[in-house]
Amino acid sequence: MKSLTRERLIKSFAVVGILMLCTVVVFKAENILVSFVLGFVIYYLLAPVVNAIERTGVSRRIGVTGLFILITVVAGFGIYILLPATAGQLSAFKNELPKFIEGTTNLLAISEQKLNSFLFNMYKIDISKSLGGTLIIFFKGLFDNLPNIISSSLAVIILAPFFAFFMLLDGQAVSKKLLALVPNNFFELALNLQYRINVQLGDFIRARLLEAGIVGFCVWLGLATVGFPYAVLLAVFAGLSNLIPYIGPVAGAIPAVLIALVNSVPGLEFLIVIAIYIVAQLIDNFLIIPLVVAKIVNLHPVTVVIVIIIGAQIGGILGMIISIPVACILKLTTTTVYSHLVEFHG
Amino acid sequence: MADFLWKSYFKRTTEEKKISAILKENILFADLSSKQLKFVTNIVHLRKYRTGEVIFCQGEVGVGMYIIASGHVNITVEETRTDKNKSPHGIIITKLVSGDFFGELSLVEENGRRSATAVAEEDTSLIGFFKPDLLEILERRPGIGVKIALHLGEVIGRRLKETTDRVSILEEQLTLLQSESST
Repeated sequence: MKSLTRERLIKSFAVVGILMLCTVVVFKAENILVSFVLGFVIYYLLAPVVNAIERTGVSRRIGVTGLFILITVVAGFGIYILLPATAGQLSAFKNELPKFIEGTTNLLAISEQKLNSFLFNMYKIDISKSLGGTLIIFFKGLFDNLPNIISSSLAVIILAPFFAFFMLLDGQAVSKKLLALVPNNFFELALNLQYRINVQLGDFIRARLLEAGIVGFCVWLGLATVGFPYAVLLAVFAGLSNLIPYIGPVAGAIPAVLIALVNSVPGLEFLIVIAIYIVAQLIDNFLIIPLVVAKIVNLHPVTVVIVIIIGAQIGGILGMIISIPVACILKLTTTTVYSHLVEFHG
Repeated sequence: MADFLWKSYFKRTTEEKKISAILKENILFADLSSKQLKFVTNIVHLRKYRTGEVIFCQGEVGVGMYIIASGHVNITVEETRTDKNKSPHGIIITKLVSGDFFGELSLVEENGRRSATAVAEEDTSLIGFFKPDLLEILERRPGIGVKIALHLGEVIGRRLKETTDRVSILEEQLTLLQSESST
C-alpha cells in the first residue's frame, strides 16, 4: 500500500509538472502564447469539419492535410483579391488621419467649452490639446511600425496553423498519453473533466467567433450599402471588438461615429450609420445569442471590466481581446472541477 | 538504443495487438473488422492495478466500463451484517476473471452511480472504455459506434432479463414461504 501511495504521488507530480512546464514555456517564450491561443481557436473551428470528413471514411491524416491545403489555397486567393482593397483603405485612412485627429480634437474642444461654461469655469477642463498631440504621435508610430508589426506577426501566422495542424492530427493521442500518467483513483474524474471542458470550450470559441463574424458582416453590409468610407476596416473592427462583452459593441461603433462627425455627414446619414450598428447588435442579441451563445458561460459585467483592465495592462489591445475568453475558460474550468468533485464522490 | 526502440515502438505494437485480441473476444466489439478494431484500440485506455487496489467505489459517479485483460477482480457491495464472504470492501458478490467486463451501465447512464465496488484481487490489467470514448467514436466513426451501441443494448437487455428472472424466482419463493407459514 505504501508503494501504491508513492506511485500515485509520483504520477500526480508528473502530470502537474508537465502541465506547469507547458504553461511556463507558453508564457515565457516569445510569440508562443499568442500562437498557442490562435492555434487552439483554429483547432476548435476545424475539429467539426475534420470529424465530418472522417465520417465519410477518409483517414484523419488525409482529411487534415487536405483541409489545410484547401484553406491555404483559399486564403491565398482571398488575400490576393482582398489585399489591394484593404491596403487602399488603410493608405487612404493614413492620409486622412490628421484630418480625423484634428476634427476629434475640435469636437472635444467644443465639448470642453460647453462643459466649462456649464461648470462656471470652476474646474478648468483642458484635455483636447494634449490629446491631439498624443493621438498624432500614437498613430504616426503605429503606421511607421506597421511593416515591423506585420513581420513580427509572421511568426504567429506560421506557428498558429502549425500547432492547429498537429492538435487536429495527434491531439487525441497526446491527451491519452497525458491521461495515462494520471493515478488510477483520479483517472475517471480526469477523463470526464477533460471531455467536458473540451466540449464546452469548443462550443464557446465557435459561438463567439460566429457572433463576431455575423456582427462584422451586418456592419459591412450596412455601411457598404450606404457608401460609408472604410466599410471593410470598420466591419473588421466591429467584429473583433464584439469579442469583448458589454464594452465591445459600444467601442466597435466609436470609429464610425467619429468619422461621421468629423466628415460632418448630414443628419440622416449619421442616423443611418448609428442604426446599422444598432441593427447589428439587435440581430446579435435577439437572434444569435438566444440560438447559439445562450448555453455558453457568461461573466458578470463587473468581472468583465476588471478582466479587461487586467488584460489591457498585461497585453494591450490583444490582451483585452484574449482576456475574456481566458477568464471564461478559467471560470468554466473552476466551476466544472468544483461541481464535478462535489458530485463525483457523492 | 535497442531498449528504447523496444519500449517506444515494438512493445507498444505488441500491447496494441494484445488489446485488439481482447477486444475482439468481447461481445461489444465482436462484430468489428480488424481496421475498426485498430481504431477502437487507439481510443481505449490500458490501466494497471495492484493487488487490493480499488478500481471504483460503490456510490461514485461512473464514467464507463472495464474489460479484464489479465488478473482477477472482486465485485463487492457494502453490507452491515456479518457474512463469510465479507472482504475489507464489503460482501463479495462475484469474482471476475480475464475477458470479463463490468460497469457497462455507466456508458449509457447520465451521472449514474456505481452500484458496487470493484477491487483488484491481484495485479490486474484492465482495458477502460468510457462514455467520452463512445461519444468520440460516434462522432468520428458512427458506423463503429452504432455496432458497439447495439451490442451494449443487447448486453444491458440480457442483464435486465436475468434480473427479472431472479426477481420472479424470489417472488415465487416468497409466496411459497408465505403460504407455508400461514398453513
